[in-house]
Amino acid sequence: MKGLEEVHEELDLWGFFELGHHGVVHVPVFGDVNAKTIVMTWVVMIVIGLFTVVATRNMKVDRPGKLQLMVEEIFSFLRGLAFENIDPRKGAGLMCLIFTLFIFLLFSNLWGLVPTMMSPTADVNTTLGMALTVFFLIQVLGFRYKGIGFLKHFIQPFVVFLPITIIEELSKPVTLALRLYGNIYAGEVLIAVLLGLFGLVPDLLGGFLASVVWLVFSIFVSCVQAFIFTMLTIAYIGQATAGEH
Amino acid sequence: MEGIIESLGLNGTLVAQIFHFIILLVFLRVVAYPPIVKMLEQRQAIIANSVAAAEEERKQAEALRQSYLADMQKAKEEAQAIIQQATKAGEAQAQQILEAARAEANRVKENALQEIEREKEKAVAELRDQVVTLSVLVADKIIGKQITQNLQHGLVEEFIKEAGDLPC
Repeated sequence: MKGLEEVHEELDLWGFFELGHHGVVHVPVFGDVNAKTIVMTWVVMIVIGLFTVVATRNMKVDRPGKLQLMVEEIFSFLRGLAFENIDPRKGAGLMCLIFTLFIFLLFSNLWGLVPTMMSPTADVNTTLGMALTVFFLIQVLGFRYKGIGFLKHFIQPFVVFLPITIIEELSKPVTLALRLYGNIYAGEVLIAVLLGLFGLVPDLLGGFLASVVWLVFSIFVSCVQAFIFTMLTIAYIGQATAGEH
Repeated sequence: MEGIIESLGLNGTLVAQIFHFIILLVFLRVVAYPPIVKMLEQRQAIIANSVAAAEEERKQAEALRQSYLADMQKAKEEAQAIIQQATKAGEAQAQQILEAARAEANRVKENALQEIEREKEKAVAELRDQVVTLSVLVADKIIGKQITQNLQHGLVEEFIKEAGDLPC
């Protein structure tokens, strides 16, 4: 029985694991980085760039194209969610961030379903990076809208709750990151595992059935996880910026 | 802490991914975000305009309907007034015609009466004349006396006058 690392290295069509030490490359500014994750992120960023640029060129008010409609619908949907939880006056400036977050996570999650590709979000570094960004954003917004009074929520309703509220606050980015990472990484692992099971059931539709079913489910999971991450971000921001009651 | 980082496989990728995300954020903010927001705002404005226009048109239609109703009411009233006036005029005319006819009839009657009176007087005068002549003749015959015609006539006329004053 092979270990997962070995399986991944055997499936490494593009040779990422030959770079550096098992795919970990040392670069000047950032130190050691996972080459595959970084390259996949660039690819996803380029895909997002192309998608949004194509979708937002030649926009028409009366007869929107399919891509335009898609982008508009995603944006309207997110705006509806955001403005339900965040005061629209505070939320309007955050819409771009929320939109970017959702699009990036959605494309990242889905990108892993393309054969030989990997989701940037199947690396805990990516998800934790995003979660920490959100975490710091929440703190900054909290101080911006509530000033020093933002710290008050740590000792409410009593001072004795301070350790609990600190743990609660810290658990937010950790759960955000690990939930997304776990779902997407598990999806990729299962794709690999189901590929390994080809030999067991070659008579049943060429052994593809389980893989196809799992791919379909992975598409669903990708969308749902991107949505959950964005939704929770919105909810946390809403909590941090909500006016005094 | 080192152990956690080691076991999770955390490294510089984390910072790099935050950096990538910020780049993507800036890119979308500059390239994709403004047209989307602009488009949605335009669409919203168009919808708002359409709704306002529809409301405006509805109001205008209502006003038009009211004015038509008022016009119709006015026309009806005018027609009523005209009919009334015509009826009154007709009645007045009929009355006038009747009056004129009555007056004419009266006048004709008066004329006729006057004529009759005149004829009567004329007949009486004639009768008197003849009676006088006859009386003279009779007197002439009976008396046989030659009295001058004129004297005789005067006598008889005097007699007749006396007799005529008597009720007969």
